[in-house]
Amino acid sequence: MGANRTYSRARLAITLLVIGGFILADHFASPTFRRNMGEGGFETTLSQRESQADACAPCGAPCPSDQNNAAD
Amino acid sequence: MAHTSSTAAEPRRADRFVVTTALTAAAVLAALIALETAPFLVALFFVGGVLGIGLYHGAFGFTGGWRRFVVHGRGSALRAQLALLALATVLIVPVLVFAADAGLSGALAPVGVSLLVGAFLFGFGMQLGGGCGSGTLFTVGAGNIRMMLTLVFFVVGSVLGTLHLPWWLDRPGFDPVNLAGGLGAGGAIALTLALCAGLAWWVTRIERRRHGDVERRLLAGPEGGVFSSLFKGPWPLIWAVVVLAVGNLAVLLLAGHPWGITFAFGLWGAKLLQAVGVDMGQFEFWSWDYPAMALADSVLVNVTSVTNFGLLVGAMLAAGLAGRFNRASQGRIPPRSLLAAAIGGLAMGYGARLAFGCNIGAMFSGIASASLHGWIWFAAAWVGSLIAIRLRPRFSLSND
Repeated sequence: MGANRTYSRARLAITLLVIGGFILADHFASPTFRRNMGEGGFETTLSQRESQADACAPCGAPCPSDQNNAAD
Repeated sequence: MAHTSSTAAEPRRADRFVVTTALTAAAVLAALIALETAPFLVALFFVGGVLGIGLYHGAFGFTGGWRRFVVHGRGSALRAQLALLALATVLIVPVLVFAADAGLSGALAPVGVSLLVGAFLFGFGMQLGGGCGSGTLFTVGAGNIRMMLTLVFFVVGSVLGTLHLPWWLDRPGFDPVNLAGGLGAGGAIALTLALCAGLAWWVTRIERRRHGDVERRLLAGPEGGVFSSLFKGPWPLIWAVVVLAVGNLAVLLLAGHPWGITFAFGLWGAKLLQAVGVDMGQFEFWSWDYPAMALADSVLVNVTSVTNFGLLVGAMLAAGLAGRFNRASQGRIPPRSLLAAAIGGLAMGYGARLAFGCNIGAMFSGIASASLHGWIWFAAAWVGSLIAIRLRPRFSLSND
């Protein structure tokens, strides 16, 4: 396979490590991570999901709750 | 799409480095998601992986299929897409109707100027960008350099779309129309099946008139042995159709809503802007409940991002097993082609936000949820595609 390879293994590995670094940095700054570390008193995506009767599809259209807020 | 049956004839030898790297990335991400989030997100990640394998091995591209019909009058890919819509509708509509109390919701969205303009832009962009929402993602996973540029501008366009969406939503339009609400599950399914069958008949008629025969790739068997085809590809189209339809149902059951892709692109862009000091909360879209929470929280708990990560890794694994990782990037890429990738990505990103999703989130999942907006998305995107197909040669892009 080596002779036919059209990419650099090092570049591929570095790219994936950089993406992994972004994901970790984003996660460490998140409410979910803080809750996992024992902090509380704030909402997370998973708690929002449990508290809403209907899941809100992430299509970009306003959720029913947003429409209600806008109408208020 | 990026790879065709012409390359399928070459022997397929797995690229061990890519396969090992993809499996390692999958294991690390799955472990991280399992440790930090919830089991359903781990399952979603693996469903995304299977979808990525199906898209790659099935060479299931919406963009290329539309173009092949318009330019060459061949309709096998388009018929496969219609079969996909029909099968997914049969699977998903009953679940949405009969399990309404289980907290599941379909891909329902308003119909109006925003949808028409957005879908038109998306259809235009996908022909210049070289792939739709799913096509861009799985070709990036397979190491296609040009499609990485498309993805970058897809993200930029998505963020711009989120900034303007509230303005577009104030233009004329009406609330989501759920066909199952008026017709019942049986009526909505029957209507969708009739529309798919009618379109398939029209496509077949045109193909027969033009060529005197009809390609019958949808129900063709595997080119090699079943085991070899399953892992190294290429897949028969019918395998991809079944995997994508069942995969969408699995996403619905796990996430609570059908498969979507492009919300995550806007989210990733917004997170990057926020990381460099831009206050995204000042923009109305990012103050709505769902986007605001997604922006504040980890991408590892965002269902669309997690599915996309799985899809990327799955496509990488499939390309590695086929020994074709990065193959589509061989040779020099013409500057005009790169310009088309940028324009296409921008148009798709902006359009996807205005139209409440891409070919997957709005068209595939919308139609499979019996939402009227899915069909209108299809029609408007088709018009945009027709124009962009004529422009492709000006950007050094082949229509062959």
